[in-house]
Amino acid sequence: MNAVSFLPSLPPAANPVLLFGLLLLAGVIGGELARRTLGLPRIVGYVLIGLLLGASGLNWLDSALLKEAWIFVDIALGLILFELGRRLDFAWLRREPWLAATAVLESALAFGCVFLALLFFDVQPLYAAVAASIAIATSPTVVLVVAQEMRAEGQVTERALNLTAMNSVIAFVTSAMLLAWLHHEYRASLATVVLHPLYLLAGSALLGYGASFVAMTLARWLGKSERGHLVMSLALIVVTVGAARMLELSVVLALLAFGTLSKNLDKRHDLMPVDVGPVGQLFVVVLFVVSGASLRADEFAAGGVLAIVYVLARFAGKSLGVMSLTYLSGVRRGAAGLLCLALVPMSATAIGMMHRTGQLYPDFGTKLAAIVLSAVLILELVGPIAVQFALRRAGEAREEAAA
Amino acid sequence: MSGADMEFPGSKGLTVGVELELQILNSRDFDLARDAADLIGLVEKAPHAGAVKPEITESMVELNSSIHQGHDTLAAELKAIRDTVVQAAQKLNVRIAGGGSHAFHMWADRRIYPTERFQHLLSVYGYLAKQFTIFGQHVHVGCPDGDAAIYLTHILSRYVPHFIALSASSPFQQGEDTSYQSSRLNTVTAFPLSGQMPFVQSWREFLEYFEMMRGYGIVESMKDFYWDIRPKPEYGTVEIRVFDTPLTVERAAALAAYAQTLARQILADRPLAPERDVYTLYNYNRFQACRYGIEAKLVDAYARRPVSLREAVLDTLKVLAPHAAALGNGHALASLAADVEAGRTDAGWLRQMHRERGSLNEVARLQSELWMGRSKVPA
Repeated sequence: MNAVSFLPSLPPAANPVLLFGLLLLAGVIGGELARRTLGLPRIVGYVLIGLLLGASGLNWLDSALLKEAWIFVDIALGLILFELGRRLDFAWLRREPWLAATAVLESALAFGCVFLALLFFDVQPLYAAVAASIAIATSPTVVLVVAQEMRAEGQVTERALNLTAMNSVIAFVTSAMLLAWLHHEYRASLATVVLHPLYLLAGSALLGYGASFVAMTLARWLGKSERGHLVMSLALIVVTVGAARMLELSVVLALLAFGTLSKNLDKRHDLMPVDVGPVGQLFVVVLFVVSGASLRADEFAAGGVLAIVYVLARFAGKSLGVMSLTYLSGVRRGAAGLLCLALVPMSATAIGMMHRTGQLYPDFGTKLAAIVLSAVLILELVGPIAVQFALRRAGEAREEAAA
Repeated sequence: MSGADMEFPGSKGLTVGVELELQILNSRDFDLARDAADLIGLVEKAPHAGAVKPEITESMVELNSSIHQGHDTLAAELKAIRDTVVQAAQKLNVRIAGGGSHAFHMWADRRIYPTERFQHLLSVYGYLAKQFTIFGQHVHVGCPDGDAAIYLTHILSRYVPHFIALSASSPFQQGEDTSYQSSRLNTVTAFPLSGQMPFVQSWREFLEYFEMMRGYGIVESMKDFYWDIRPKPEYGTVEIRVFDTPLTVERAAALAAYAQTLARQILADRPLAPERDVYTLYNYNRFQACRYGIEAKLVDAYARRPVSLREAVLDTLKVLAPHAAALGNGHALASLAADVEAGRTDAGWLRQMHRERGSLNEVARLQSELWMGRSKVPA
């Protein structure tokens, strides 16, 4: 022991708290720069600064650090999906069945168009199908965060959010089924093929149901206290995220189920409407910086052309689905086109999915990762701009937030 | 508006019509939504009774009835328009509610409806335009000629506290209990052209006043006067504007019946001469009615003594009985009398819901259920 042993050893070890703060700081600076210099949504700035700091840029955020940051991304996802779930209103879908029909049709057409396009470019059918199933989902994070940032409210906003919630579920179910098929291709046992998707779906839904039951019960016990309900909801969101990870379930599906069941099963209106937005904002910034850092520009070189085909086919499929049914539902003329734009963002959760699949089946992973991740790269940058344009053009952003 | 527009055409005696300003709420936390344009667009897609129009902010919609001879057809039409609007609202996942104020919306969040007139009002009145997101019922009563309209306006002014107390349904504003039964009228009072018609005695005198104000460039048309009661030459009516929008269409029809019956009695019996002291005491009495509702103590300009508003309303309802019978409004006025005697008011119901449910979100939700006809008023 020497006289200065209280000093940290060199180089000093980073810790998650420091990482969180630095990611946040990087995000704030990147977001503000994007807004000031390019007039882009802040989200694009978060992603760009992530790209700069990540493996494609300075490589300060290497994969070890990203792993540490994953906990914050999970919490952000939890908060966002809970909020999105609360917006998914079953009673509305019963009264306006064309909205639910739109979600099914645009999902099916997005899948179909991407699948056929990839087949045309000689991608193996099974691989093409998995890639197409990932194309179904609109990014809940991008749509909700842009809407919140603009404080947008109105039919295009609400419908985009409901469609996003529905196509996220459809995408999840489809890809779970296809991954089972993939297991089979790689000679997994039949039991695994059937049981794994079933476990994911039923387990996640059950976890969400359990959380919503606890939330309603606690809400009754707490009485009508806004602060009490907010803290309780935040606690349950974090618990559910953690439990989903622990049980190897889907964070996305579990939290979506939690949100939507706590809204739709609460017949006595015990749970007060809580606004997790201000808390969520912190984690959301980190989420986008980490997403940016996880993207690989070199993959774009490999998958570039096919990625562009993928993005265009996906947009064509979704737009066809939305345009063909929207006039049957009660929305004004012109809203359909804006709705198509609002559904453009692609889910960054695809990154995780691709990496995991890649670890399981390296051959499959590398082939497809290039295409899908390049598409994510494009849409992480274009998506927020499209949503912002759509909501602003729809006249649904608050005046002061439009700047 | 040219001079010719200010001629009072007269309308077939004592018809009645109603305008109702309503709240559009979201289904998430029951705050005000911004879907007026989509809602009106959807309603206009199919033929329907009455008319549905935009109001100053995107969170409001106005229903207009057509012209009626009495309570029953008016009530039936109002229900039909309500059902049309509710159906459209359900397709858009928004809710419609009555009540003079939204309990917890923040005025700064409101957006002005994008028409030239409303944008102009915003540029003139600034934040008052957004605070004007309050919800009133206007009752039009047909008048045979301009002089009768002036006379009717003066005599009806005595009854303004009745109208306020019977309709009061705005106890909450901006998330707080105001302690008023009708807090809505405090917002109206802030406008420079609010208040009462000057003490003119004939249509000719009124036109002189109007021309003077127009000559100064203060007003362009009658629309610019936000008076509690104003003659409306455009329709040949006198328009009473102090009612809060009640919580149900049934109540709205009953209030219109009260105004119509009162107008019939006033024009048929000519019981009183216009009295300057009505206006001397006007603001005091109006405040009393806003603050305490049916429990208010007024000073009556004709009797020259303090009176209980509850007694004054019940006495008036007795005097009106034969006229109510003639118009077929008897049962509507009987329901009002029963509510007054039992002390049932919309403001009271809203406060009771707040006590029972403990949150203003729940108040707004229950308010919308009530207006949309999905739940009954508990006795």
